[in-house]
Amino acid sequence: MTNRRFKDTGFEPLLAYLVLTVGFVGLSIYLFSKTEFGEYIFMLSALTLIGKLSETRRTEFLKICFSYTKLKKIRVTENLICSLPFLIFLLYKQLFLSALLLFVLATILALLNFRTTLNFTIWTPFSKRPFEFTTGFRNTFYLFFAAYALTAIAISVNNFNLGVFAMLLVFATTLSYYSKPENEYYVWSFSVNAKVFLFSKIKTAIFFSTSLVLPIAIVIAIFYPQNIIILSLFFLVGWAFLISVIVSKYSAYPDEMNITQGILLALCIWLPPILVVLIPYLFKKSENRLSNLLK
Amino acid sequence: MIAVRNLSKKYGANEVLKNINIQFDKGNVYGIVGENGAGKTTLFRCIADLEDYEGEISSNPNPIKNHLGLLLTEPFFFQKITGKEYIQLLCNARDIKISDIDDRNIFDLPLNQYASTYSTGMKKKLALTAILLQDNNYFILDEPFNGVDIQSNIIITEIIHKLRELDKTIIISSHIFSTLSDTCDEIHLLSNGSFIKSVQKADFSALETEMKQMTIGNKIEKLGLK
Repeated sequence: MTNRRFKDTGFEPLLAYLVLTVGFVGLSIYLFSKTEFGEYIFMLSALTLIGKLSETRRTEFLKICFSYTKLKKIRVTENLICSLPFLIFLLYKQLFLSALLLFVLATILALLNFRTTLNFTIWTPFSKRPFEFTTGFRNTFYLFFAAYALTAIAISVNNFNLGVFAMLLVFATTLSYYSKPENEYYVWSFSVNAKVFLFSKIKTAIFFSTSLVLPIAIVIAIFYPQNIIILSLFFLVGWAFLISVIVSKYSAYPDEMNITQGILLALCIWLPPILVVLIPYLFKKSENRLSNLLK
Repeated sequence: MIAVRNLSKKYGANEVLKNINIQFDKGNVYGIVGENGAGKTTLFRCIADLEDYEGEISSNPNPIKNHLGLLLTEPFFFQKITGKEYIQLLCNARDIKISDIDDRNIFDLPLNQYASTYSTGMKKKLALTAILLQDNNYFILDEPFNGVDIQSNIIITEIIHKLRELDKTIIISSHIFSTLSDTCDEIHLLSNGSFIKSVQKADFSALETEMKQMTIGNKIEKLGLK
């Protein structure tokens, strides 16, 4: 199934695994180099990923298909395969106790099943303009708490860079709200043309993301007034990436973003000024893609 | 008014709609019946401008999609969006300002719960409520009675009558003949992508009898039930 998903997005599975491995190692090294809490964030990430495999409906389906013993074997194998990259990296870092703990927890998690989605309705400040931030906030609200906590830590340890990281974490989270194309009904329903539709999406995204980032930016600006220009620059880059992800999404619509958009966005991380050209180009392309659904 | 002229639709070599000609006037309710795969949903998608097609579909006001309430057979809902937010989204899409969603919740839906947790019937009622609050001129209701409880069926029938009174144009498909005979002014029988029969209210019972004979034939005897 994973191979099919890679093929659908235009990736050769072998190449995709290679890119993922390099990305995983790179991000892990970066994480451990940047914070002393790297080990805990790393473990938590591994357990979150593994926990997704214990989702009730998924386990129920496996229960129907396999006997009890076979089911347990499959679940333990799945969890260990999933935790393997994390285990290898922990061993490489000579964090043997953490590796052992992860191994044990991954095995125990295989014997449990739980709902990864909560049944109660999580409050969101974005109810009036559904749907991206409304649903996105409910999926990722804990990351905003983490970002605000990081900001407080940044101030207490006098680390401007950590504060900027917290700000970018919020922006990166909001970018993920635009990663998947919505059902065509939710585009078709709009009684505006493609250009107005795109501007409205961008306006909402900028307004809502700003409302989430602004508390961090204000706190950092108060404590580091000398860095206010750098801070504003990061703010602008955050907005630019948000706009570029929106127009990337609709430039491939109704398909998912493909390898071309991925490469273009990756290029922009390396060299952000490319966004000045890329955004208008993708905006035009999005207008064309949406013109069938929006008149 | 919606006028469909020489409408054809192909998926590859498969011609799903063949030279359809029909006019839907305001203040009238039209029923479209046909077996599964007859082309009903494709016809609705063409009228809604969700599909490319050959031929011409015109309307007044135009473009039709901006004045159309489309109830799909299986409405799609996001994972973490409440009933109220779904209605808000669809009203925002048509630039309708709405502040009294709770008061207009005539099906008593739990609007503060995630719509994805609703039952099939509740989802249908939510989707119907949302398109009704959009102040549309045209309505396409693809199987509005399916999965809905008997009390809500009565309400939906009354809503359709009210929409007719308000001079709206309503097109309905249903596999339950009685729901169509209660609501429609005309029923059109679609078979293999073409309209093969159109009947007025006075002849609905004759059409039902004819459809029964056509559909059942000697199929039950073939089962050899003992």
